[in-house]
Amino acid sequence: MFKGIKDWLLNLKNEGVEQVPDETKREFLKIGLIITGVFAGGSLFSVVSKVAEGLESSEELHKSYPYKPHYSMVFKIDRCIDCELCMEACRKTNHVPDYGWRTMILRRYDESALDQKIMFMPILCNHCNNPPCVRACPTKATYKDKKTGIVRMAYYKCLGCKTCMVACPYNARYFNEEKHAVDKCDFCWESRLSKGMTITACAEACPAGVRIFGDLSDPGSEVYKLVHQLAKPVWVLKPETGAKPNVFYTIS
Amino acid sequence: MRKVKILIGTFILLLGFTGIAFVSEKNKVESGKPKEPQGVIYYESEQFGGPEIVYVKPVRGVLFSHKKHVGELGFPCESCHNSLFEMQALKSQENPDFKMETLYQGKYCGACHNGQAAFASNTKCATCHIGVKGLKEYMRKLASKEKK
Repeated sequence: MFKGIKDWLLNLKNEGVEQVPDETKREFLKIGLIITGVFAGGSLFSVVSKVAEGLESSEELHKSYPYKPHYSMVFKIDRCIDCELCMEACRKTNHVPDYGWRTMILRRYDESALDQKIMFMPILCNHCNNPPCVRACPTKATYKDKKTGIVRMAYYKCLGCKTCMVACPYNARYFNEEKHAVDKCDFCWESRLSKGMTITACAEACPAGVRIFGDLSDPGSEVYKLVHQLAKPVWVLKPETGAKPNVFYTIS
Repeated sequence: MRKVKILIGTFILLLGFTGIAFVSEKNKVESGKPKEPQGVIYYESEQFGGPEIVYVKPVRGVLFSHKKHVGELGFPCESCHNSLFEMQALKSQENPDFKMETLYQGKYCGACHNGQAAFASNTKCATCHIGVKGLKEYMRKLASKEKK
């Protein structure tokens, strides 16, 4: 039966659009408009329904962790002294060129501040649960590792369009000329964690104990203890983007 | 005869090229790696009794300001010299015990920075630790002053 349909379809001849009456054309266009309308309306609705998700309370956010191990980093931000040993270790371990960076230390300076006038803030890729860069990549060169939740790069797939660099709310990506691909922090997955080491190069190099790295889904880990408490403030950067980052900041 | 001339000419050209390549490569190596500073001694003005000192050991970018301690707070030289620090700037960073643990035991800066006389050594880190960014700023200041 289906074979007959195939032959019939193949033998059909193009009648051309000259013979089609205006009404049929109009109806066809209307179908197109309806379909577009359904999709547009749907996406609008989905935006409305995602507001609640974006404002999810921290308790709800931390109830379950989708990855195992769920790698995370906590910064005790007031201990950072900008010695940049972390950056040095990162450059050495991951062969980061001089013009690029996987982790960086920002400085806030306020002349009018009382007492201490400088504050340092280390930043790196936040390995978001809802990563805007992954959504933006047209070739799926950047992806969320299904097991560990690390946002990784498949360099051979990268076109170098830099859309991910624009999409990232944390400015955590740079274009590597040698690889001709965008490069970023992968929590030292390729250089260390996949070889059995348990801690990133930057966390190991830090002399002040600013960077604490571990498995957030393990209640025995230090990161779990630092995040699941109310005695000290814990915050994430740019929560309004809804990216749900896995890098937390606290004070010692 | 002509062939010999051409041969000699090619040889000279080759030598020239390799020479240029060698020299440029050497310059690249020299200019590419700026020397790590061994610390900064920056005299803001003679009236403060001493310079602004930026230590680089054991971590880079730790500032001691004579301007703050002598100029603003008015401590006499004897409060630190020569009991806690020697007169020669940056001398103490050569000592193996010049680190935070020693400060907590009341030596070096920790003699005053114990939580009673002044803020404790294990608080307000970035007050003294101005970091690599701070160190670079002082190096720039020093360089611009030397130019003048």
